[in-house]
Amino acid sequence: MHIIVPVKMVPDTTLVKIDPETNTLVREGVPFITNPFDTHAIEEALRLKDRYDAHVTVISMGPPSAEWVLRRALSLGADQAILLSDRVFGGADTLATSKVLSEAIKRLHNEHPVDLIICGMQTIDGDTAQVGPGIACRMKFTQLTLVDRILQLDLAQKRIQVRRKLEEYYESVEASLPALLTVVREINSLRYPTVPKKLESAETMIPVWSNEILKLDPNTIGLKGSPTNVRRIFAPQREKGEIIDAMGDNKDAAVNMIIDKLFEWNIVIQN
Amino acid sequence: MFVGQFIFAVLFIAALIFFAFNFYRLLALLCLGRWENRFDFLLTRLKNMFVYAFGQLRVIERPYGVNHLLIFWGFLTLLALNAEFLISGIFPAFSLSFIGRIPYGLLLTATEIMSLIVLISVLIAVIRRLFFRPAYIELSADAFIILFMIAALMVAYFGYHAGEIHLGKTDWAGWMPVSGMVANLFSSVSTEPTVQTVTHLCWWIHALVLLAFLNYLPYSKHLHVITAIPNCFFRSFDYAKTVPRLIFQRGNEFGISRITQFTWKNLLDFMSCTECGRCQDGCPANHTGKTLNPRDLIHRGKLNLFTNGRSILAGRPLDSLLPTPADAEMNSPLIGNGENSISEADLWHCTTCGACMTNCPVFIEHVPKIIEMRRHLVMEQSKFPEELTNFFMNSEQRFNPWGLAPTDRAKWAQDLPVPFVEEGKPVEYLFFVGCSGAYDSRSKNVVTSVAKIFNHAGLSWGILGNEEKCCGDSLRRLGNEYVFEQLARDNIATFRKYGITKIVTHCPHGYSTLKNDYAQFGGEFEVLHHSQLIDQLIREGKLTLSKKSNGTTVFHDSCYLARYNEITEAPRNVLKGTQSGSGFVEMPRHGQNGFCCGAGGGRMWLEELEGKRINTERTEEALATGANTIAVACPFCMTMFEDGLKDLDVVDQVHVKDIAELVAESME
Amino acid sequence: MSQPSDGNKRPKRPRGKVRYIEGKCIACGGVCQSACPFDAIDINDQGEPIIHLAKCNGCRKCIKVCPTEAIELFYTPEEEKILSEYYKTDDIKKTAAKLSTIEDWKGVWVFVEQIGGHAHSVSWELLGVGRTLASDLNVELAAFLLGNDIGNLAEEAFGYGADKVYIIDDPMLNHYQTATYLHGCVSLIRKYKPEIVLMGATGLGRDLAGAVATELRTGLTADCTGLTISKEDRLLEQTRPAFGGNIMATILSETARPQMASVRPRVMSKREFQQGRSGEIVRESFLLPEQTLLTKILEIIPTQSQSSVNLAAANIIVSGGRGMMAPENFAMLKELADLLGGVVGASRSAVDAGWMPHAHQVGQTGKTVKPKLYIACGISGAIQHLVGMQTSDYIIAINKDKNAPIFEVAHLGIVGNVFEIVPAMIAQLKQKLSHAENKSKIAV
Ligand SMILES: Cc1cc2nc3c(=O)[nH]c(=O)nc-3n(C[C@H](O)[C@H](O)[C@H](O)COP(=O)(O)OP(=O)(O)OC[C@H]3O[C@@H](n4cnc5c(N)ncnc54)[C@H](O)[C@@H]3O)c2cc1C
Ligand code: SF4
Ligand code: SF4
Repeated sequence: MHIIVPVKMVPDTTLVKIDPETNTLVREGVPFITNPFDTHAIEEALRLKDRYDAHVTVISMGPPSAEWVLRRALSLGADQAILLSDRVFGGADTLATSKVLSEAIKRLHNEHPVDLIICGMQTIDGDTAQVGPGIACRMKFTQLTLVDRILQLDLAQKRIQVRRKLEEYYESVEASLPALLTVVREINSLRYPTVPKKLESAETMIPVWSNEILKLDPNTIGLKGSPTNVRRIFAPQREKGEIIDAMGDNKDAAVNMIIDKLFEWNIVIQN
Repeated sequence: MFVGQFIFAVLFIAALIFFAFNFYRLLALLCLGRWENRFDFLLTRLKNMFVYAFGQLRVIERPYGVNHLLIFWGFLTLLALNAEFLISGIFPAFSLSFIGRIPYGLLLTATEIMSLIVLISVLIAVIRRLFFRPAYIELSADAFIILFMIAALMVAYFGYHAGEIHLGKTDWAGWMPVSGMVANLFSSVSTEPTVQTVTHLCWWIHALVLLAFLNYLPYSKHLHVITAIPNCFFRSFDYAKTVPRLIFQRGNEFGISRITQFTWKNLLDFMSCTECGRCQDGCPANHTGKTLNPRDLIHRGKLNLFTNGRSILAGRPLDSLLPTPADAEMNSPLIGNGENSISEADLWHCTTCGACMTNCPVFIEHVPKIIEMRRHLVMEQSKFPEELTNFFMNSEQRFNPWGLAPTDRAKWAQDLPVPFVEEGKPVEYLFFVGCSGAYDSRSKNVVTSVAKIFNHAGLSWGILGNEEKCCGDSLRRLGNEYVFEQLARDNIATFRKYGITKIVTHCPHGYSTLKNDYAQFGGEFEVLHHSQLIDQLIREGKLTLSKKSNGTTVFHDSCYLARYNEITEAPRNVLKGTQSGSGFVEMPRHGQNGFCCGAGGGRMWLEELEGKRINTERTEEALATGANTIAVACPFCMTMFEDGLKDLDVVDQVHVKDIAELVAESME
Repeated sequence: MSQPSDGNKRPKRPRGKVRYIEGKCIACGGVCQSACPFDAIDINDQGEPIIHLAKCNGCRKCIKVCPTEAIELFYTPEEEKILSEYYKTDDIKKTAAKLSTIEDWKGVWVFVEQIGGHAHSVSWELLGVGRTLASDLNVELAAFLLGNDIGNLAEEAFGYGADKVYIIDDPMLNHYQTATYLHGCVSLIRKYKPEIVLMGATGLGRDLAGAVATELRTGLTADCTGLTISKEDRLLEQTRPAFGGNIMATILSETARPQMASVRPRVMSKREFQQGRSGEIVRESFLLPEQTLLTKILEIIPTQSQSSVNLAAANIIVSGGRGMMAPENFAMLKELADLLGGVVGASRSAVDAGWMPHAHQVGQTGKTVKPKLYIACGISGAIQHLVGMQTSDYIIAINKDKNAPIFEVAHLGIVGNVFEIVPAMIAQLKQKLSHAENKSKIAV
């Protein structure tokens, strides 16, 4: 079995803030991390590896420094890592990203047929949840998004059963392989790499595939292949924490306030 | 008699050979460990040996310790005459009397008295074990066998000499008061032939028991009779504050999972345990019903050494004193659930409080061994309680245990007059705030108080702000040396960048780590705990505490202050300075004999589900003093007592305060 | 580089150079680098541009693509000189590139998501915002629906503002499946060329939208919170949170059509339903060649049947601490949680006291949760608790101690007695919920 996990290096976004006065991003001291959703995708692939002895390949498109997230995946137990890096890949939106990733996967597929692609549900810097479906669509793989449990995997019959976590309910689905899954955080809890593996992965040579290798039409990748672009950024209007004293007679007002907020925050809705 | 002499000679030589063989085997077992140089400072070592092994300084600190001291010295005295006894068994003419009439006579008298005392001590020991046994002493057949042997030796000794006196065979009757008394007893009850038989019998009993004793030793806990003395000789001079540094290179092994990875001195530790149970008595985990028992842990180490070691040695009889091959096969894992193994759960229960090490009369070092085994679990196996996954990742990625924004580390100082260190503008003291001070709202009040105190005293100081990272204490004690080393290196580089020479912390864990652990990475700084610096400021008259409080205050000693770094007086001086009356009280367990709060050794990040909560136990002890303020000098202790008070439902009556808060309160 | 020429020759207009404005880069991935035709930009480890002035030709491509205006044009002192002369002699012409084929795409479309013939209300909300967009562009607003036996939904769509409804009604579309729906949507869009397509960012919508956009090779902006038309260029301005909600970004899809956006439920508001409003219905047939279906739904499992201690996946958590005083008082929290469709959590103190089992503990040594709403009742907010819940979307704290640290993370803090506030909340909620006679409901 061959499993591919595309991963992305992202800034640790909860630490990214906009300076309300200058309207610029405060990035000092913000480290780059593996997209948290992708860490669960790697974990799920490794669990399948433990059970079915799968070959796990991680790929990442990004600047040369993104090699780091691949090393991390290797230290956790992935078998192979490939970095897709080229200045013409830069500035890609989700459409152009899925292009490069799926072309790379196709190459890998030709060498060693792929049964599963596992992606995180979304990235924390973009939150778009589109790259997964994009790859599935381009690869013509069965698409299974929002998976929170793999129920069954039948390699002989090429079938998989998963449970999907939708807003109102869960759904169990059977589908044929090859398939692309996007997984939610609850699907598993992460493992922690051993030191020998860390040291080993630090020395592993990670092949870099540039566009000289992939030979993609420059108009379909990177900035040029991205139909969307950012016009401007600004700080969101943050709700300031509000504190109400309800110790005295103010009690009813406070309760009204809570109920109003429940409506305002769409927790409770009026049809 | 000649036949008897001959039989004895054969037995004696056989016993000696057997003993020598046993001794060689022990030596061979020790050689299974790794090399470590403990042959330095020989004079100091000799001194240590005399103070602790012969003087038994640590033994007599505890109840019945004197009893042991007497047995021990009784034995040493007896040793001389016993040697004479054994030799004369073969060469009847041999006698020590050549040393002079008076000295020899005195030796005889001393032996008489000692033997009597030993006999009484043995009786007391038996009675105590049978009727007044404290929980930490285990009832073992071994103990009774040994006590029985000693008693038999003494009785036979008196019987033989009494017989000789009675029969008029000795010129020394006058020097042997006790035997003399027994001889009188003989004369009143027995006939000549009976006495002769009894004397003969006693001689043989004495002879055989003596030889048996010699050879039983290596198989019993009384192995320590042989090993404890060298163990005191080879002890480390310093309290085991740290664990050795590792070299992170491919191919190395990290931590210990096989008994042969320990150094020979560690193996000697395992063999030297007297099973006195003192470590267990001070152990917070054991006290509150966890399965960890430091005595048992050491014992299991010994069993593991014996089972594995013996089979390894059996496989290579010729080169048994050479180093162990790395691939030597083990038939019992060191870490595991068998009876010769140490369980993982036990390793995680330890708070690294060090009570066991402080109590151990023969200087066995439990904590470094526990940490080495944790290292193996964490770094080689990635096997640890699940709560730690988050803790490790947070420490690695965001440099604090809670995974809060590193960019918020200096937030507490935002609206306060807190100076930041700057390049090229040296300050005298760097205040290392630590993660609790920076993020925990309860501790923020403590660091705010520290800031107030420093400003009040006009100190030249500053903080690193967002450049500071977790000190890594918990990581190191939990065995995650890899991440610890990264944090240590980063912090040291930052200290150097700002030309820092003196550092003050308000957390004993940070204190001990910066002071003792960072030294291994070239970080040599003068490190002070805030209690020391405040004490110093008060003494220098830079701080005056005018608003004294008149409640009752009890101080809880943090393990990493009192035991690891022998700081017990500074915080007490400071506290007494904040009090008007004599409201300062002590808990029964205090100073270096204090009882852990339960948070050390990384337990701060682990759930405590087994047995009673350690913090509850300690909080109860504090409450029993009647104090209404529990003073602490550590953010972890702070949480532990606050939670203890919550659980005991007395938060409204009793408060926990850091000494800095109390000082700040009495400054105005 | 042009040299100031002597004599009478008119100087060549200097093009200037670009420079990076320190601190403004968001490490977007190097759009400037890839836009530069002269290889004059490198990206450093921080993801920020390093500009090699010697190579820069002043073409300004990087300035145009930078989302944060982190690159600006400047003139070297020599250039400044030439420039002042140049301005004396000439005026500047501007040219704007026009995109041609884009004109062919017209109209605003909204995807109507339905299960078993019931439309998801997000579809009507989208028609609400779609109406405004269509009016601003002066084009038609259409709804498009796929399914089996769904004719009745067209009426509703008209009532909520659609001018036209496109329908593919086919048994094969009975259950949602990515492959069939994808095919249906793509064929409709290719045929009728709407310039804007909106979809709900629901589980189904996200599953479908990404695939449709990829198939059409067009841009898609997910989870928009604001949609407007830019008057000058008739482009859809799609505003959405990025970087975990720490910044807002406005995104354009200039070069490809349709411009696709998805919006989460309850972000937009629907219009008043107009009874009897009608319009044109266009029916299309479904042409997917019969093939073995790739996926099959085996079972639908309602969320409620999940064990109620699944805190990590819960959307609403009502937690109690030591301030709840006694185990029986947790019944109150349970009632509130049930009303809101949530589960009950606890602080470690409450767990220690034996009021709740350990599986409900939130915090450092319990569960880490991230619900939409977290209500903390009688919880002080020790750091060990905060780390387990502080990333919740909304936090309401009820505590009688106004200095309790829980208020530092609360969006709404009530300094009050839980035993007064919580029962009053329950009463009001019950009243409101029955008042509206099932019209008002829990939204999660
Ligand atoms: C190793 C370790 C791990 C820990 N892990 C966790 C963890 O995972 N999760 C966790 O929660 N804690 C954890 N803690 C415990 C933590 O330190 C706190 O003790 C605990 O969170 C406090 O719980 P509490 O807020 O319910 O209680 P308290 O701190 O006692 O707070 C009770 C609050 O209730 C308020 N109150 C009282 N009566 C009323 C009333 N009538 N109306 C309104 N308010 C009222 C009071 O003002 C007070 O603020 C851990 C501690 C340790 C040492
Ligand atoms: S260090 Fe403390 S907790 Fe650990 S074994 Fe020794 S006494 Fe027990
Ligand atoms: S380890 Fe030390 S204190 Fe513990 S039982 Fe052995 S000798 Fe006694």
